[in-house]
Amino acid sequence: MRKFLGLALALTVVAAACGGAAPGGGSDSSALAPGKDVAPAASITWWHAMSGVNGDALNKIVTGFNSSQSKIKVEAIFQGTYDDLLAKLNTALASNAAPALVQVYDIGQRYMYDSGQVVPMQAFIDRDKFATTDFEPAVINYYKYQDKLQSMPFNASAPLLYFNKDAFKEVGLDPNKPPVTFTEIADAAKKLTKKDASGVTTRFGFGPSIYGWLFEQLLATSGALYADNGNGRDNRATKVVYNSAAGKAILDWWKAGVDGGYFYNPGIDNDGAANAFNAQKTAMYIESIARLRGHITTIAGKFELGTGLYPRPDSKPKEGGNIIGGASLYIMKSRPPAEQQAAWEFVKYAMTPAVQAQWQSDTGYYPIVKAAYDQGPSKEWSTKYPQFLTATTEIRESPQNRMTNGAVLGVMPQARQRTQKMIESVLLGQATSQAALDAAVTEMNAAIDKYNKANP
Amino acid sequence: MRTGTVVNYALLIIGSIVVAFPLLLALSYSLMSESEIATFPPPILPADPTLDNYGQVFATIPIGRYLLNSFVVSSAVVVGQLITASLAAYAFSFLVFRGRQLLFFLFLSTLMIPWEATIIPNYMTIRTIGWLDTYQGLAVPFMATAFGTFLLRQAFMQIPRELWDAARIDGATTFRFLISTVVPLSRPALGTVAIYGFLSTYNQYFWPLLITNQTLMRTTQVGITQLRFEETLRWGLVMAGVIMVAAPTLALLVLGQRQLIRGLTAGAVKG
Repeated sequence: MRKFLGLALALTVVAAACGGAAPGGGSDSSALAPGKDVAPAASITWWHAMSGVNGDALNKIVTGFNSSQSKIKVEAIFQGTYDDLLAKLNTALASNAAPALVQVYDIGQRYMYDSGQVVPMQAFIDRDKFATTDFEPAVINYYKYQDKLQSMPFNASAPLLYFNKDAFKEVGLDPNKPPVTFTEIADAAKKLTKKDASGVTTRFGFGPSIYGWLFEQLLATSGALYADNGNGRDNRATKVVYNSAAGKAILDWWKAGVDGGYFYNPGIDNDGAANAFNAQKTAMYIESIARLRGHITTIAGKFELGTGLYPRPDSKPKEGGNIIGGASLYIMKSRPPAEQQAAWEFVKYAMTPAVQAQWQSDTGYYPIVKAAYDQGPSKEWSTKYPQFLTATTEIRESPQNRMTNGAVLGVMPQARQRTQKMIESVLLGQATSQAALDAAVTEMNAAIDKYNKANP
Repeated sequence: MRTGTVVNYALLIIGSIVVAFPLLLALSYSLMSESEIATFPPPILPADPTLDNYGQVFATIPIGRYLLNSFVVSSAVVVGQLITASLAAYAFSFLVFRGRQLLFFLFLSTLMIPWEATIIPNYMTIRTIGWLDTYQGLAVPFMATAFGTFLLRQAFMQIPRELWDAARIDGATTFRFLISTVVPLSRPALGTVAIYGFLSTYNQYFWPLLITNQTLMRTTQVGITQLRFEETLRWGLVMAGVIMVAAPTLALLVLGQRQLIRGLTAGAVKG
């Protein structure tokens, strides 16, 4: 199924690219938005990929909007996972059945841009002189291309170090001072690793999943680029460049830990890594803040959970920092201006501090608008779960540059999978770090070439 | 001989445990609390079985409605397929007309077209006639089946030509012969087509996702993805959902299998 979706995506990119020209150009993009006097449509549809607790939180925003005014009614429709949603969007675009507003994941950004089917969010912002000064710079910068905001960030996450405070106390580590650098983590992991009488490891110090996103983040905290042309932000990327010294250092560190027996390797299995941490089989691991809420529920007081800043090289490079994750909202060009107008009204509502604070306390994603932290629900939330604030600290401390803005590639989902294969081959000893990096880069460059040719 | 039987049974039991293990584990997990699943080493059997997860499934998604939708659609597809496939197979096996062979091979060649290639045109057709979010949109595109026609044609060819001649001499119409002779004699083949059609429709994912937008028109396979949250996975909840969705098809297979095997072997040895 996955394979097929990928193919469907690739094919429809070609089809979609023939359909319309890419937006952009000029310093003021307001011309791309409908006129200010266009009356908003009475109802619009919004496709999203939030289920469970997050889905309920999302529906709460929609209900709030619908009852806050009487002109526009938003209907939110769950369309499966992010990948399913994108596959469905492609089919719908081909037959003009797309909704006015869609939620697309972070790495779908370049793809959405190349489809030429999006009204850039910047057009509405410029037209209404909508102030984005209070927005988290790290979040807003992620969704900009050539300085123009393409979509409105909606759910924002960041990666963290999760650690077991009880285990820290047990081996004499300071639970209030989690390790940050590669060496600090390796040293702490050695101390935290426990073996039983027969020499079998009962607890590993550190156990990250082989997850491409984590590698992208480690590269960013190392202050290194993932792709050329400023991570594909100054211009479309033509190559990936992570086979650098920084990339090699990350793999060497990871490999040394696994070989030394103090890093656990769950394989390409994010849920496995999370479960190992819950089961106290590992004492530290790295993952998105989006998992924090689930951890708090599952651990249910069995041990004290701490969060720390994401790992970085020993030199703590000044230009290094973290990339945000999550998803954003796109207004679709194929809908009539009145519907685009209505979608924009809803987007503005979703960005109000009160809604953002409610969204934070319902889901655990951090607010995009800084003023949200002053709201009641947000304050209560932060007092109850101070672990969440680590993410806010982390993204605010990240310097804003091309490395920390993160890479945008049309083939990003594929690129992520390829780095996973690369890390796995190194950890299993099938290739040296440099050889694995070079092989992955060569293969991805061919894929980027193909994508760029198909989307001129 | 006796030891041979014992060995055979032992092997069969081991084999069936291996085959059934994932399903049994799913059942076991669906009865565990989330924190029990998270313990290490992972437990096989619940220490303290609970039905909480099932309650949670009902609280999270309208699973009853999803099951109903899936049954309505799958049953409609089965009925449609049985009618179209048996009529077509009858024509291809008993009726003589010009170009029969060519038409049959043309029919078969449609088996080579991957379903994925037809998704977009089918979607556009369904959308144009306004069948999005309807039962007919979910069912009608699957009501004709080249595979089923092929299967039934092979089965119909087994029926002695003499019966056809006898029926014609007695004055039976073409249609009468189909209803009174061919269909009753081909029950195992019809059963196979029915079960195959039911299961493949029941397990569809992409098409129902594509053409439905209202929650209440979704089918089980699309519906249970709502139990899988984007960032956290609650195994107990997911497994409870999976068991609830898989149970009806398992029941169908168990009931259908007896009919199938009996039917298949009944004609195997000439009595």
